[in-house]
Amino acid sequence: MGTKILSKKFYNEMIQLEPRYPTKVALLLPALHAAQDEFGWLSPEVMEEIGSYIGIHPAQVREVASFYTMYNLRPVGKYHLKICTNVACCLRGADELVSHCEKKLGIQCGETTKDKKFTIMEEECLGACGTAPAMMLNNDYYENLDVVQLDELLENLE
Amino acid sequence: MSKCIIDGREVEFTPGQNLIEVAKKAGIDIPFFCYHPGLSVVAQCRMCAVEIEKMPKLQTACSTVAAEGMVVKTKSPRTAQNQKAVMEFLLINHPLDCPICDKSGECDLQDNSYRHGDLYSRYTEERRTYLDLDMGPVIQKNMNRCIHCTRCIRFGDEIAGIREMVALQRGNNTQISTVDGRALETDYAGNYADICPTGSLTVKDFRFKKRVWFLKKTSTVCEGCSRGCNMEIHQDANVIYRCIPRENMQINKYWLCDEGRFNFQYVNDENRVVAPMVNHSVSDWGLSIDQAKKVLMGKKIAVLVGSDLTQEEGSHLLEFLPKHFPGSPIFHFGTPGLNTAEKDGDADRILKRKSKTSNLHGLEKLGFQGFDKMPKEINAVLVIRGGRAILPDLKGLVAVGLGVFMAPQVEEFSVILPGTSFAEKDGTIVNYEGQAQRIRRAILPPGQCKGLSEVLMMWVNSKSSSGAA
Ligand code: SF4
Ligand code: SF4
Ligand code: FES
Repeated sequence: MGTKILSKKFYNEMIQLEPRYPTKVALLLPALHAAQDEFGWLSPEVMEEIGSYIGIHPAQVREVASFYTMYNLRPVGKYHLKICTNVACCLRGADELVSHCEKKLGIQCGETTKDKKFTIMEEECLGACGTAPAMMLNNDYYENLDVVQLDELLENLE
Repeated sequence: MSKCIIDGREVEFTPGQNLIEVAKKAGIDIPFFCYHPGLSVVAQCRMCAVEIEKMPKLQTACSTVAAEGMVVKTKSPRTAQNQKAVMEFLLINHPLDCPICDKSGECDLQDNSYRHGDLYSRYTEERRTYLDLDMGPVIQKNMNRCIHCTRCIRFGDEIAGIREMVALQRGNNTQISTVDGRALETDYAGNYADICPTGSLTVKDFRFKKRVWFLKKTSTVCEGCSRGCNMEIHQDANVIYRCIPRENMQINKYWLCDEGRFNFQYVNDENRVVAPMVNHSVSDWGLSIDQAKKVLMGKKIAVLVGSDLTQEEGSHLLEFLPKHFPGSPIFHFGTPGLNTAEKDGDADRILKRKSKTSNLHGLEKLGFQGFDKMPKEINAVLVIRGGRAILPDLKGLVAVGLGVFMAPQVEEFSVILPGTSFAEKDGTIVNYEGQAQRIRRAILPPGQCKGLSEVLMMWVNSKSSSGAA
């Protein structure tokens, strides 16, 4: 392998984490998270490098990364809105939140605004059914949302 | 012996056997998809679920080991109801394109649908569709037909030793693929198509060539290396269309390597010499043999015997050669750099052996010596081989060939007497473990090709005297 894409910091973190797990393969999930923190998304090259570091085929890295929706396989905007559209949230108006966002930002679910600021995605259950409808903005939860609150939130970001 | 009861019949089993195997032994078929005896058990498809007395829910037969006194019902209404439901579910996204699918006729999905499914589907929604995926030179993937049984993934992981085939995404979006449809890396890729229970993975070489029910099958043994994997040749109208593995738990289990699987292609090769040739022009058998004798006359001859010949052919030659080529040295040849059986070994951790011919070990048992270097005084060679032994450098020597040759290989040869390939003769070969196995004739030799014993007979009966000095 030629030059490494992932930083020293990434590799140091991995070395620290490794003793926590019974096998090196178990490092895969934290490695994907750490790499995503670094670049905002997981490019094929990054996943290739993670595979060779852990000692597994890049296809296996792809398999795991594509299973979880927390991993971005495409670049996302600075603000990543993940709106839950599972049963509880839908009953409490999640659909409305989604279409409101889409209209306001002028993009469809799964797309990113031209200025690379916003990405909207649907999420399958954030585990916050008791406080539905819920949304994640990057790594933070926003619960019991309605359109007014959402507007306020978005305005503060712009 | 422990016993359990399946469909009212007492069936014996060895502890540890699962219900699919136990039932099969008693002639009772439990339908399944994800189970394969050569792979780990995952109980994913649910097709094999059966009713077991004293258990409230249906149990998957592939992952349930038989127990003493167990009472199993494979045909009860509850079992049948489940099979029908599973079939309906698996066919939800299936394009039902059997008429243009190569698997049709030997497809588990088709067979089980016919036997256990419903005639009608209630599904009216849109089906998922994908474009075909090119997976390198051997396999083409049609994701629409896939039922996510993961047999291919497990084959890659557990047998081929490479996790190149994976399940991307999840739920209804699950797609079985390689990374971005990359070419498969394993050289055992043909097995992916064999074990796929649907027409999702197909061998490119066989695609759209023949409906499988027209194929006649001959049980034989691969001649690709000294392992001697068991296989079937499938032919129609004297044309070989494919080779597939034949189960032999001692030798190759359920698998074949790609080199062995596609080795048959030389049999139909358009470059194959199928008529006797003298100095590049077609001749007849009698004249060619006379000419062969003439060019060898008075020469110092070495005889090279391919280790792709059978034991029977080897024994004939041991009788024939000393009489008609007295004093000429005789060597076996086949794989460059590997001139004794002792040097043979595993070429990988799966099946392939270093010897690229099938009968190296057999010929050595008969007493043939390996070829190393051409002795100094030699100025002519008689080469006798099947289609696989790799020719050594014969520059500057008068050469006569008897056997299977491709035209570009034998430009320098004075005479070629066309012989038979492994698919065109019966015989015995001995693998690296000393296991003698039968190869069987699947097709007739093309053109004017003749078997070795017939050619030797013609040689003996031809009027002109033998060539040796
Ligand atoms: S491609 Fe074939 S073997 Fe692989 S998961 Fe799909 S149906 Fe099963
Ligand atoms: S391992 Fe050898 S005998 Fe087996 S299929 Fe391959 S070439 Fe043929
Ligand atoms: S064969 Fe038993 S669940 Fe698939």
